[in-house]
Amino acid sequence: MSKLNETDIQGFVLRGYNMPFARYLFLRFEDAGRAATFIHRLLGEVTTGQRWDSGKPLSTVNIAFTHLGLSALELPDATLLSFPVEFQQGMKKRAAILGDTGRNAPESWDEIWREDRVHAWLGVNAVSLDALNSRCADMLTLMRDTDGVILLDAQDAAALVIDGVPTTKEHFGFTDGFGNPDYLGVERSSQPGQGKLNSNGTWAPLATGELLLGYADEAGELPVAPVPHILASNGTFMVYRKLHQNLATFRSYLNDHAPFYAGGKEKLAAKFIGRWRDGTPIELSPDQPDPSITQDPARSTNFTFGADPEGVRCPVGAHMRRVNPRDAFGFDGKLINRRRITRRGLPYGVWTPEGESVTDSDERGVIFIALNADFSRQFEFVQQQWINYGNDARLGNEKDLLMGNHTGHGRFVVQGDTTPTNPPFVCSNLPSFVELRGGGYFFLPSITALGMIGMGLVDPR
Amino acid sequence: MPNQNGKVYGLTILSPIIDDEQVTPSHDLQIRNYLAQLPIDEQSPFALAPGTHLARLVVMDDVIYVGMPACEEHLKSKYLIFESNCDGDLTSYLTGLAATIPEHLNAIWIHCVGYPGTTNLQAFLNYMKSCQIDTTFFFAAVNDKSVPETLRALQTQHAVADFIANHQGTDPTLLQSDFIQLLADLKSMPLQKAGAMAPDRDLKTGGRNE
Repeated sequence: MSKLNETDIQGFVLRGYNMPFARYLFLRFEDAGRAATFIHRLLGEVTTGQRWDSGKPLSTVNIAFTHLGLSALELPDATLLSFPVEFQQGMKKRAAILGDTGRNAPESWDEIWREDRVHAWLGVNAVSLDALNSRCADMLTLMRDTDGVILLDAQDAAALVIDGVPTTKEHFGFTDGFGNPDYLGVERSSQPGQGKLNSNGTWAPLATGELLLGYADEAGELPVAPVPHILASNGTFMVYRKLHQNLATFRSYLNDHAPFYAGGKEKLAAKFIGRWRDGTPIELSPDQPDPSITQDPARSTNFTFGADPEGVRCPVGAHMRRVNPRDAFGFDGKLINRRRITRRGLPYGVWTPEGESVTDSDERGVIFIALNADFSRQFEFVQQQWINYGNDARLGNEKDLLMGNHTGHGRFVVQGDTTPTNPPFVCSNLPSFVELRGGGYFFLPSITALGMIGMGLVDPR
Repeated sequence: MPNQNGKVYGLTILSPIIDDEQVTPSHDLQIRNYLAQLPIDEQSPFALAPGTHLARLVVMDDVIYVGMPACEEHLKSKYLIFESNCDGDLTSYLTGLAATIPEHLNAIWIHCVGYPGTTNLQAFLNYMKSCQIDTTFFFAAVNDKSVPETLRALQTQHAVADFIANHQGTDPTLLQSDFIQLLADLKSMPLQKAGAMAPDRDLKTGGRNE
């Protein structure tokens, strides 16, 4: 297929901006006409997927809508009813399916998410805090001028600064952001291990329709999308989840269990995730971190689990292996090609080095943003079957150690061999290391679709 | 043998549901109502009666032709479908059902044409067998163990997994004595009831993605 029309696709879909600062503004539409005017005026501000040949901008702006938001904009009923049912319901109503129960249940979410008030997400990314503040001020001015949109809340997120340098680490200390897939037609410096596995062991981009509406997906079908086609095409669906990290619990659990594991604390931490904290895949380097691998795009994501079916190097239940099993389920990895998601988002809260006192109640975590063409088939499947259940990985009812909604009864088995430093080990009574504080499902339209919404031109006939 | 997969028997029964326009609610709705309220844990009738690995009861109203050009066709009757993966030979399995859960069987099948009830066992067996069709190919998750053997194996697996988790780094002498005790405990442990070990799984299933 030919190159995608990058000027019609929001930049947030096609690339991670790699900007260290972000603010996510949550909007409510007070008046359909004036809100449409706001979107119309915003059109020139929205960052597209066009290449930054003349240099990286100081900031970016992108927008996505909840179903309630599209309804508040008074899109035609025939259009509203044509969206997939999970988007119409929204993430809160999907709680039982997602396993968002107990402490992750909507009753415990931040106030903004407990009620169905959010109509739109306005994502601003920036290279500096000044640029972020300035662009957000512009957005607020636009809201004031058009008088149809109110700001409900704002969520700041930023790359964690460690020793004065912005990093790609998250609060538990692991380097994040390796796993995003390649898609056909999306221009990106791709590396082996990021798309789908061919039967000869090489890697190829996934079908465009796994990310974007209006294109064939891995089954050769068009993803379920709203009418008219032009509203959906070049758009995608976005999951927003505020994931709180219980840092004190994580550190004490690791410290309490490490003395009993002959491989040592850092190796146990690496077994939890499937990567050493610096990002080295333990499948490639089972005994120590290896910067030469993490620095090498030809190697850092280029591995499979087929030669390690028992999980001797990378445990079968390691987080990374669960959510991207590659070839672990056989059939050359074909069983997972329709379950991939693209991750965006940044951490929130301040990095606290090991050794400094922390509590679980400190405000810190990750703003998890995932893009997919089909919530049900992609994000929801991964969340339900691979995070909160273990059957596909032959782990019975065991949940993902890192992300699972444990109730203090979770179990994680580190498979091992007869090497003294790589023994089998069982971690029991898992607490919840990560808790959900709210979020929603959004539709992230194309530039054309934004124009249609802004100008009241959406016509499903 | 089309109804046999290893040690497991695949039973398929289709019983025509009584069509009586004088009856309200209709017989098929009454079956649906009863089935909807059946427990699915250890109180399930198929957990109470011996020998069931897995059972499913479905009301089939009609068949829909999917294709082009559309063509209208109908079943002669509505059917109650009973599918079961079970132990042993068919006669002893059905006899076990009749002996253990006659009230459930009668409450369900009373709405089916020609059902004689469970009181006359031979008539019950004849009826069920006359409604049977060959299962042909079927998948059995475990086809080399009986229900009690499977329950015992699960119980052992749970106990050994817990033992390993609780004895990491234990002194070898204590480990050995505890393990000998575990084996003794396992031998004397009463078998858990069928359905009692169902996972404590609060996930709602049945989404399109499963």
